[in-house]
Amino acid sequence: MSIVLIGVNHKSAPVEVRELLAFSDEACTEGLRTLVDGDVLREGLIVSTCNRVEVVAATAIGQSKEGADRVTNFLSNSRNLPLTLFDKHLYNHNDSEAVTHLFRVASSLDSMVVGEPQVLGQVRRAYSLALEAGTAGRVLNRLIHHTFHVAKRVRSETGIAANAVSLSYMAVELGKKIFDSLAGQTVMLVGAGEMAELSARHLVNAGASRLLIANRSEEAARHLVQEFGGEIVDFDRMAPHLAQADFVICSTGASEYVVTESLVREAIEHRRNRPVCFIDMSVPRNVDPAIGKMPNIFVFDIDDLESVVSSNIREREREAERAELIVQSEVMQFQQSLRAMDIGPAMGALRQKMQGIARTELGRQRGRLGSLTPEQELAIEALLIATVNKISHPVLTQMRRSFEASDAETLQSLRDVFGIDE
Amino acid sequence: MRSLLLAVLAAYVVAAIHSILAFMNKRRSLQRVSDWALAAGFVLHTAALIADWVLDGHYPLFFPRETLSFLAWTLVATYALVVYRYRARALGSFILPLVCLLTFIALAFRSGTEATTATGLSATWLFPVHTTLLFFAYAAFFVVFVASVMYLLQERELKLKTFGAVFHRLPSLTTVNEIATTSAVTGLTLLTIGIATGMLWSSARDGRLWHNDPKEIFAALTWLLYLVLIIYRSTARWRGRKAAWMGVAGFALVLCTFFGARLMGGYHVFG
Repeated sequence: MSIVLIGVNHKSAPVEVRELLAFSDEACTEGLRTLVDGDVLREGLIVSTCNRVEVVAATAIGQSKEGADRVTNFLSNSRNLPLTLFDKHLYNHNDSEAVTHLFRVASSLDSMVVGEPQVLGQVRRAYSLALEAGTAGRVLNRLIHHTFHVAKRVRSETGIAANAVSLSYMAVELGKKIFDSLAGQTVMLVGAGEMAELSARHLVNAGASRLLIANRSEEAARHLVQEFGGEIVDFDRMAPHLAQADFVICSTGASEYVVTESLVREAIEHRRNRPVCFIDMSVPRNVDPAIGKMPNIFVFDIDDLESVVSSNIREREREAERAELIVQSEVMQFQQSLRAMDIGPAMGALRQKMQGIARTELGRQRGRLGSLTPEQELAIEALLIATVNKISHPVLTQMRRSFEASDAETLQSLRDVFGIDE
Repeated sequence: MRSLLLAVLAAYVVAAIHSILAFMNKRRSLQRVSDWALAAGFVLHTAALIADWVLDGHYPLFFPRETLSFLAWTLVATYALVVYRYRARALGSFILPLVCLLTFIALAFRSGTEATTATGLSATWLFPVHTTLLFFAYAAFFVVFVASVMYLLQERELKLKTFGAVFHRLPSLTTVNEIATTSAVTGLTLLTIGIATGMLWSSARDGRLWHNDPKEIFAALTWLLYLVLIIYRSTARWRGRKAAWMGVAGFALVLCTFFGARLMGGYHVFG
């Protein structure tokens, strides 16, 4: 039994190739039924997203090479694509490499934006399609469940998805750093640019309770009020409202400072030094950077946000290194469990067969033994069972050994000798 | 008793190491190890202090060895309270190493040279009250100090917009500000009652409230500084940076108070 994984992703292939190889849901179930032939390819699964097309298959023992060829041909046939067109973009992983790859994909370590949460759902979808097509069996079931377990572990034990990596979400992140919780905070929008709107949406979703909107054009402000609720305030007499705001998000088209030092000085008089966070998303800037020097006032312009984003990306990468270690150890565990699982039934069958023989023979000769005490009867049975167990023990040991050495030939001949076909 | 304190030290070291690792790796499982080790250490430590008290017949706060061990104990108790209230486990990475150090030094002091000078002092119930209150005040001021440092570190990063590894690992500005304020109020309250009981005790002994010894002077200065800090904080004029600097400066005075007597002599002969 071995696992092969063949496919392309955003690193190995350009979008022109990926889109040609992509599977729709229906194509997926249909394709899986033709892919799995029950001979070489025992089980199959297709992960098809905008960033990757990958086929995971379980092959018969010692047939991984043949299996890989069949999968490649399957891709070419089912997509009506000459092999030469995508051959050089394909990667081909076997066994532990294939398992590692799938674990990394589901844990979002192989994604364009490391830590993005969608990919796990896509793997889940691929699995349910395989279940639908009836092509997920013993090996893939176990593999996928282990994959989910790894993805969950990576998510909860590392900070791989902890910090925001989008500009508009930064406001929430900075807010949490300064105010701890956004619940009950007042947000003021100065200007109604698209970025500001997006940030405001995130802030409101994160619990900000009050929204003030100051805009030159009443109409745009009204549009925002319709969407989020909130109050429209006078753009030209901002100071009293500024005093109430914990967050000020600024994005106007103005070419000079809209939030000036004197305006803020006036506003913070009434705030009793409670902190304020200014986020300036406009270029040219609308918030006088000198304000940032005042105590308890934090000003971030678009460059600052960018630098936080890149610091967060670095942080994610640091966390990704730890995630890789988790993946490695889980791959080892999975391989072990797979090994135990694979040899298990054969060994069980052998043991049962031998003990069965012993019991049948005892039954046949029982009449000749005359009357026995229950103890004696048990002793005879124990004697027979112990004997056959002792005889089969070296055989079982040899089976395990050749299995671990991936010696399919010996394994098969042992099965043949004892007539086990599970 | 030494072997018991050794076990305490071992538990604290485990707790401190796991707390630091958890701080760096942000792993909850490591934090759990730290919590359990700390709880075990604290229980053993409490047992050790009680045993000390019973066996030696005096409140275990006379000799350097005892004071350091007791201080470590109060720090752990205070840390537990802060974690319970604010879930700010990052504090552990700063407090627990100090706890280990104090316990270690307490162990390193050889007992034996300690004569019987203690007996006379412990006659009154005021002694345990006076000292215990002050030790918890010290611990509270240390929490103010750590929270203030956390505030300054983060405020600096936010102002300069250089977000390093610390940024993602410390509690928010509001949280550390609150921890500092609450701890300062608690510390000052304890200090006030501590000083008052000290005066009461002193006047009962020799009729004098004040001996002008270094420890008393520093304690008075400390008291004044934290009073100013709290007044400023409550009127909200001094939120944030300046208040945080004051929390740091205040702790320098606390250190002077704690070590004052040892270095400069005076009426308070013991640690």
